[in-house]
Amino acid sequence: MGVATFITYGFLFISLYVEVFLLLSYLQNSFRISAPIAPKKPNRYPSVAVVVPCYNEEKSVVGTMRSLLALDYPADLLEILVVDDGSTDSTLLALEEFKSDPRVRIFSKENGGKHTAMNLALQNTNAELIGCLDADSVVAQEALLRIVPVFENDKISAVTPGIHVRDPQTMLQHMQHVEYRLSIFNRFIFAVLGSVFITPGPFSFFRAHVVRELGGWKYAHSTEDMEMALRMQGAGHLIANAPQAVVHTSTPRNISALFRQRVRWTYGWLRNAIDYRHMFGNSSYGNLGLIVLPSAIFSIAAGIYFFLRILANAILAARDEIARIYFSGVYVPHGQFEIFYVNTSAMIFLVMVSIGLILVLICAGSLIGTGSRRPPAATPLFMIFYSFLVPIWLGVAVLRAVFNTGVRWR
Amino acid sequence: MEEPVVNTRAARWGSYIVAFLITALIFATALYASNYFNNRRIADVQATQDNISIDILSLETQFELLAEHSCRDISENSVLSNEIRPLAQRLSYLETQPGVDQNELERLKRYYTLLQIKDLLLMQQVSKKCDLTPVFILYFYSNKGDCKDCEQQGYILTGLSEKYPKLRIYSFDYNLGLAALQTLIDINEVRNAPPALVINDQTYYGLKNMEDIARVLPELLTLETASSTAATSTEQ
Repeated sequence: MGVATFITYGFLFISLYVEVFLLLSYLQNSFRISAPIAPKKPNRYPSVAVVVPCYNEEKSVVGTMRSLLALDYPADLLEILVVDDGSTDSTLLALEEFKSDPRVRIFSKENGGKHTAMNLALQNTNAELIGCLDADSVVAQEALLRIVPVFENDKISAVTPGIHVRDPQTMLQHMQHVEYRLSIFNRFIFAVLGSVFITPGPFSFFRAHVVRELGGWKYAHSTEDMEMALRMQGAGHLIANAPQAVVHTSTPRNISALFRQRVRWTYGWLRNAIDYRHMFGNSSYGNLGLIVLPSAIFSIAAGIYFFLRILANAILAARDEIARIYFSGVYVPHGQFEIFYVNTSAMIFLVMVSIGLILVLICAGSLIGTGSRRPPAATPLFMIFYSFLVPIWLGVAVLRAVFNTGVRWR
Repeated sequence: MEEPVVNTRAARWGSYIVAFLITALIFATALYASNYFNNRRIADVQATQDNISIDILSLETQFELLAEHSCRDISENSVLSNEIRPLAQRLSYLETQPGVDQNELERLKRYYTLLQIKDLLLMQQVSKKCDLTPVFILYFYSNKGDCKDCEQQGYILTGLSEKYPKLRIYSFDYNLGLAALQTLIDINEVRNAPPALVINDQTYYGLKNMEDIARVLPELLTLETASSTAATSTEQ
């Protein structure tokens, strides 16, 4: 067995192991998934602050605000703090119509990044719970009532929602729709394992005093949502997930926007992973240190490795084919289908099992997020195209992380 | 969601071990399945070789009966032409597949080489007796990595056989270590400098393109080309 084959089998084994472990954990906890029923009323309604950081969001912030004002929650216990982070467009003008609502407070400051907007809101609220809603997202009416009761467990310091793609239109958005179902599964299972390491921008909530104790939000390589979750985990706080707290978020419409977003996410994740490297493989962080964080890094390495291997094989095959045509002087088609030539290598079987398991995880994500096991129609497209797209932005992000180039929001 | 989180992130060693065992089981199943299908392929090639062997035996028998009968029933292409090329392709494919029993594959290659030599001898005998003019090339290559032109020579010969379906090309691995093959090498005085082509009892070394081969094998032009054969078939 050559070195390349050995490495490939090694990557395949670990990939399969992680998938099997996640699926096993899911099956052990599937009783926790219930059909969407009316949200449980909290024993006590805590005061809640929702922060809407805005930077040039004139087109989307109105929809975001309307969805927040439509939330089912006692008006006197809900405040919405909109922080305009130095927008250069008409964001402030668009917010005019909400000024008269007693629940809304609007702040304007020089541009300093999302973490500064969050910290400004944190300084200006006495609410018990503080959350964020990116200005490109909208929430379901009952979303807050799905999240607040989870905080009745004193050990829980943060709760993440179930994030769905908002009104997918382009092919790329439909593929992201599938990807987000997989993320719903991951967020759920990581919560079950006590290992959530991202508290995403759209509608994650925190105990405000915990955030203050931890020192507020940090720049964190433009991914303050990852850093905050890691810092909370480091301090021993539990982060839960409420997948039925539905949030719809706008996603990139085209490849270049998606590419920029994902390079930023992956870059931020890698740089934060370096900052929190003491957690990796550390058994005192339990599943997070032993399985979840190492597998997150491993998935990046595996994605790049498999892509490069497939690319190298494709280039060699093309070179051979060109040489064959050049020297033989004829193009000999590979002929009709013959059973004999069907690839039945162990590697093919393992790749098929791995793809099958991903499909199962997408179905599980659909069940957790929507109550139906049916995966989105674009699942086959997602499986094919994402296999080629993801390694490219992973590769670029790894290079940028190695050279610590920094990333921009837009 | 009644209980959205387990109140612990403690390592679950039991689950880690169970997941490991399931993954190992999946791996073992994949390896077993792959091995099973490879064995099926080997058996398939064996069956083809046995068929060819029977065909040769049949023609040998036919040939022995020639003293009493005419050559009418025997043509140059009555043996091997249908099955030898796919068989060679299948053996080449098996060589590229991981997990194939190398000893078994080596045995099949030796058997295949013997069948080619037998076919060559028989064809020469039949041709002499029946006054036929077979057009054939003996090609000696090496798989040991010491022949940089062998791959290209193989492509050129493939192109020729595609163009002239009735051209017989016998390919031999110079390093196979088969006594009968060694005798063939000695008879034709082929040096260990592949690629080597034996055409009309003359040995040529180094990469030869189609024009080179056509120059030393003028009989090639007497063969039907694939396009004329196809045209004839269409007319029929």
